[in-house]
Amino acid sequence: MKTVSLGASRPSTVYFRMPTRDNLVPIRVDVEVDGQRYRDAFTWNPRDPDSEIISFAKRTAKDLKLPANFVPQMLQSIQGQLAEFRSYEGQEMQIKEKIVPLKIDLRVNNTVIRDQFLWDIGNLDSDPEEFARTLCDDLNITDPEVGPAIAVSIREQLYEIASQSVSVMREKQMSKKGRRAPEFSSNSKAVNNAVDLFKYFGSKGSVIRKRKEWYLYEPVVDVVASEEDGKEEVNNSSRPKKRAEEEKVASLQSL
Amino acid sequence: MATTATTTATATVTAAAATANFVPTPTPPHPLPAAPPALRAPSTLGPVKSEAPPTPSSSTATAAGAEDPSYIITVPSYSAWFSFDSIHDTERRLLPEFFEGEAAAASGCRGPHAYKYYRDSLIRRFRARPGRRLTLTEARRGLVGDVGSVRRVFDFLEEWGLINYGALPSGSKQAKEKREEAAQQSSLPSGATVPRKLCTGCRTVCGLAYYACDKADISLCTRCYVNNNYRPGLSPANFKRVEITEDAKADWTDKETLHLLEAVLHYGEDWKKVSEHVGSRSEKDCIARFIRLPFGEQFMGPKEDRMGFENNDDNSDEPGADVSKRLHLTPLADASNPIMAQVAFLSAIVGSDVASAAAQAAISAQSRVDLNDGEIETSINSTKEEESSHTNGGSVNDLLKEVAANARAQLEKERNSIEQSLSNIVDVQMKEIQDEICRFEQKEMLMEKERQQLNCLRDLLFTDQLAVMQHQQRTPAVVTECKGDEKPKPVVNMS
Repeated sequence: MKTVSLGASRPSTVYFRMPTRDNLVPIRVDVEVDGQRYRDAFTWNPRDPDSEIISFAKRTAKDLKLPANFVPQMLQSIQGQLAEFRSYEGQEMQIKEKIVPLKIDLRVNNTVIRDQFLWDIGNLDSDPEEFARTLCDDLNITDPEVGPAIAVSIREQLYEIASQSVSVMREKQMSKKGRRAPEFSSNSKAVNNAVDLFKYFGSKGSVIRKRKEWYLYEPVVDVVASEEDGKEEVNNSSRPKKRAEEEKVASLQSL
Repeated sequence: MATTATTTATATVTAAAATANFVPTPTPPHPLPAAPPALRAPSTLGPVKSEAPPTPSSSTATAAGAEDPSYIITVPSYSAWFSFDSIHDTERRLLPEFFEGEAAAASGCRGPHAYKYYRDSLIRRFRARPGRRLTLTEARRGLVGDVGSVRRVFDFLEEWGLINYGALPSGSKQAKEKREEAAQQSSLPSGATVPRKLCTGCRTVCGLAYYACDKADISLCTRCYVNNNYRPGLSPANFKRVEITEDAKADWTDKETLHLLEAVLHYGEDWKKVSEHVGSRSEKDCIARFIRLPFGEQFMGPKEDRMGFENNDDNSDEPGADVSKRLHLTPLADASNPIMAQVAFLSAIVGSDVASAAAQAAISAQSRVDLNDGEIETSINSTKEEESSHTNGGSVNDLLKEVAANARAQLEKERNSIEQSLSNIVDVQMKEIQDEICRFEQKEMLMEKERQQLNCLRDLLFTDQLAVMQHQQRTPAVVTECKGDEKPKPVVNMS
C-alpha cells in the first residue's frame, strides 16, 4: 500500500473551542478558609448563565456543610477560570490533525489510576466523557467518582493544548507581519509532543504496537486498601516504578 | 458499591403517605390520572408485581432474591409513570434540552442517552440509601458530565419525588410546599400547547419574544439578551427580535367567557367595566372575544347575506340595545350552528310575520338560483325547522315538495345525458380502431402481392441463369478447357 501522508496536511482554522463534541470547560477549585479546605474538579458548560454559577456555589457549600464564607472564594475561582476560557474564545486557533499522547495519573479516594494513550486533537467530535465512562466500565472500577476525575483530567490536557495552539496562531500572525520567521520557532510543548504520524504509519510502520511495548500502554488501577499516604502505594506495587523508568526509555527511543 | 447492584426494593405508594403528602394541587402537568392506591413497581422487577397485593391501606412488597433487607421506597402517585426502561413524555416535555434539536441526535453530554444515564444513576444512588437525602454535590461527583445538566436532571427528579422523597431533613412541610410550587411552575410552561422556544442561554422558556442570532444559531430570551449573556464573540447587533405568536395566551376558558357574557349583559357596551368584570383581559381582548362568539357577529352592524335574507336591513340596525330580547335569545344563541343562532335571534327580534315572509322570499330566491344543488336540501331543512315554529306551514310545504321533485328530475336528466355522451364517445373510439384495422389489412395485402412478385422475379432470374449456363456449356463442349464462363474465349482456341 502506498504511504499515506498524514500530519500537517490540512490545518483548519476555527474559532477557539474545546476540541471535543461538547464545548465544556474543566474547572478546578481549591479554596481554603479557616483551616478548612475544599478541593473539587468538575466540568462546566460555558453557555450556562452566570446566575447558575452562583446558585451552584451556594448549593455546593450547603451540601458539603461548608461555612458561608467559602462561597465568594469559590465564585471567584470559578468565574476566573470561565473568564479565561472566554477570553480565548474570540480568537482563532489552528487545528492540525495532530495525535498527542495524554496521560492520566490520578488518585481518587482509594483508587489509583495511571494510563497513557493517544488522542486525536483534530477530531472535534471526540468525547472525553464517553471515554471516561467506558474506561471505568471496562476496568470494573466501583468508585463512581473516578469517572468524572478522568474526564476532567483529559479535558484539562486538551484545554492546555487548545490554548497553546491559539498562541501559536498568534505568533504566526505576528511573524507574518514582520520577517519570515522559520516555522519551527514555536517551542510549545504540544508541538514537541505530537507524534510524528508519518514515521508511525509510514511505509515500514504498522498500526499495531510491538508486543513488548504493550505493557506500557495498559492502564494500571490500584486500590489502596489502607488510608496511608502515597508512599505506601509505591511500595505495594512495584510495577509503577519500573514502568515509569521504562516509559522514559521507550519514549526516548520512539521519538 | 451498592449503586451498581440492581435496586433491591420495589416502589409502592402508601395511600396514607400519598394523601397526606400531596395536596390536590399537584395534579400537574401529566395527563395520566393519578390514582392513590396504585401499586407501582419499576419494570425491572417484573415478577414482583404479581406478588404484591394492591390493597388500599399501606402495603409493602419485598423483592425476591436480594442480599440486602427489603425496604420501602415510596414514589408519589403523580410520578407513577416512571420506569427505568423508557423515557416518558413528561420527561421529554420538562427537560427538552436533552431531546430537542441537535441534542436529539447527539449523545455525549446532550441527548436522550445522556439523560437516561444521569437519571438512572441518580435514582439508583438514592434508592441505595433511601432514608438519606442525596445531595447534588455528592451525586454529580459520581457522574461523568457537565454539572449544569446534572443539576437540572437532579432538580427535576427531586421535584417529582423520584429522588429524596420522604428523606428530607430540613422540615418536610417546607420542602413539600416548595415542591408543589415547583410543580405548579413547571405546569405553567407545559400548559401551552404551542411548541415553546427555549433560550440557549438560560434554558428557560422564552416569553413573548426572543432574539435570534444568525451567526451562531443561538436564541436568547429577553433577559439573557439584556444581560449580555452570550458568547463574547457576538454583539447585540447580531441579534434579531422575533415575536412569538400570542395564541398560547389567548385561550379563553369557559369561566372567562361566562364572566364576559354576564358583564356584557349588565354593562352593555361599556367595555371598561366589562374587562374589569372579566378580570385578566384587556378591553380589546374582551371585544375581540365577544365578536368571535357565535352570536356576537350580529352586533357588528350590517353584514353580507348569508341566508339570502333580502329585507334584513332593519333587523341588523339594532346593535344589542335591547336587553330583554337578549335574555330571550340566550338559550338558542348557544347553539353550535351559527346560522341557527342568527336566525333565532333575528326572528325573535323581528316578529313572526316578517320572519316568515323573509323566509319565503329566501326560499324562492334560492330555488331560482341553484336548483341542481344538493345543498338546497339542508338549507331547506333548516328553514323548515325554523318555519315549523311559526304558523304558516301549508303552502310552503307544497312548494318545497314541488321544488324537491323538480330537483330530482333534473338530476336524472343530467345523469342520462352523461351516460349517453359516454356511450357516444365509446362508439366513436371503436369506429376509429376498426378503421385502423382495415387499413392495416389492406397494407398487408399489398405486401403479400409484392412478395409474390418478388418470388416470380427470382424464379425468372434463376431460369435465365440456368439457360445461360446450359448454353455456355453446350458451346464449350467442343472446347474442353473451358470451365466457367468468365471470359469470352478467343475464336483462335477453337480447333
